Amino acid sequence: MECPNDHILLSSGLKGEEKSYIFRPRFNYSKCTKCSLCRDNCTENAIVMFKEGYPFLMPTLCSGCKTCQLACPSKAIEEDRKEIGLTYVTPVNNNLTLVTGVLKEGEERSYPLVLNTKRRADIMDFDLEIYDTSAGTGNHVAAALEDSEFALVVTEPTPLGIHDMKMIMHLLEKLNIKGYVILNRADLVNDEHIIPDYEIIGSIPLSDDIVQSYVRGKPVVDAFPESDASVELRRIMERVSELLW
Amino acid sequence: MVEVVIASGKGGVGKSTISSSISALLSHKNIGIVDADAEAPNLHLIFDTNSWEEEIEYKEKSVAAIDYEKCVNCSICQEVCTYEAVENRNGLPHIKEYICEGCGACKVVCPVDAVRITKNNLSGWIRVGRTRYGPFVTSELDVGQPNSGKLVTEEKNIAKKWVREGKIKHIIVDSAAGIGCQVIASMSGATYALLVAEPTESSLSDLRRVFYLAEHFRTKSFIIINKENMNLGFNGIMKFSEENDLEIIGKIPYDKTVAASMTHKMPLVEYDGNSPASRSIKEIASFLEDLMP
Repeated sequence: MECPNDHILLSSGLKGEEKSYIFRPRFNYSKCTKCSLCRDNCTENAIVMFKEGYPFLMPTLCSGCKTCQLACPSKAIEEDRKEIGLTYVTPVNNNLTLVTGVLKEGEERSYPLVLNTKRRADIMDFDLEIYDTSAGTGNHVAAALEDSEFALVVTEPTPLGIHDMKMIMHLLEKLNIKGYVILNRADLVNDEHIIPDYEIIGSIPLSDDIVQSYVRGKPVVDAFPESDASVELRRIMERVSELLW
Repeated sequence: MVEVVIASGKGGVGKSTISSSISALLSHKNIGIVDADAEAPNLHLIFDTNSWEEEIEYKEKSVAAIDYEKCVNCSICQEVCTYEAVENRNGLPHIKEYICEGCGACKVVCPVDAVRITKNNLSGWIRVGRTRYGPFVTSELDVGQPNSGKLVTEEKNIAKKWVREGKIKHIIVDSAAGIGCQVIASMSGATYALLVAEPTESSLSDLRRVFYLAEHFRTKSFIIINKENMNLGFNGIMKFSEENDLEIIGKIPYDKTVAASMTHKMPLVEYDGNSPASRSIKEIASFLEDLMP
């Protein structure tokens, strides 16, 4: 969402653009009775009232939750919308479709766009959905992980990588999703004991081929099928297939 | 006071490596250091900070709670939730706390007043410590939380207080990846932004997006190209810098010493000050030094 990249490696350009919106209140002042319930119920403090007693929206604070509209007893809040980004559906080949969300720059919340993108993927009724989450552990990541059969947690065997991996594992526990670890740049450290006791299903070696495939804008398994990294990635894929079917 | 923020859009391009080394090199300028990546804080590992002078509980989370004594299972709460945070579990509505933002839509519609919004739940921690290079503030957001921008703003306020008290003169902020609220909070009010990019299309694409933010905040930006020799034929970043009149203040070569320094929990320039990447970062630091009165 915030910095989508998969399309650069999988295809030339994004297709099937659709604008993505969230709710935004529009006050109909002819119906408003100045009861202030919209303001009182707004947890983002996005609605202010001046002397005359009419509500005004502070657009940057509004999260689009609709609570004001639901709280209004006189139906004075109409539905307006705000564009938060774009979604795309790009056919990569006969068997693979890429669904992408691109957050508008300056938009603070990526969570609603994750939800919209996920909805767009769900209506396509794919046999299998693979989610590439953004970095971090916030609710934008939780939303992408939700309902997954299991998660592949990619990390480097460095103290920094392990630290962040533990945070993701903690999130997965809350979501009740099993996490399998893939060590990337696995030969960075020969210090096995820093890797906690999780099930590791793959160890991708440090490889110039990966760097070069990135440079060429292709997946490493296509650019360098014989590379050590590609061999291991295919092995991981087989393992993942076993877990799925 | 000069506030320098290190950002990149894309993750894993070297923000923390550069921030930690720049902090080490500029410590004589009286700096305070802010790790603004609350969802995956890492600087304390590079600084090997194990004890904290202060740990502040950050209580910002609001979340809905259902009183099942009152609930009549009408499922209206589930219908109105914009965030899809209410699910039906064993025939009863259930709030998914790791998604709920506590907006209160469910509370407003509940016909039997069975929903309560509990405020000020623990959502993270702000930790204040010391490094060899200056005072340090970091934070950790509990997993599954929304809107960590406010947490970053709190951290920056602590550093700004240090400036007012005369404890430090300048602030170095290591931003999170992406362009979301944490990055917006990091960028807001910064004097200079160091935008780190790798010479690949995807990194350039992210650079454009984070530069857009910097422009929005009128923060003067400079570009650093990391791992610049990994793709010598790529001139996209060069073109981007010319088009936007941006100065490239450093080109750091790919250097395996970087990973080794992380394993040893040291800023790169301290681990091996003569490695190729260290030498480039030293040039960047001396450029910054001239900007810091």
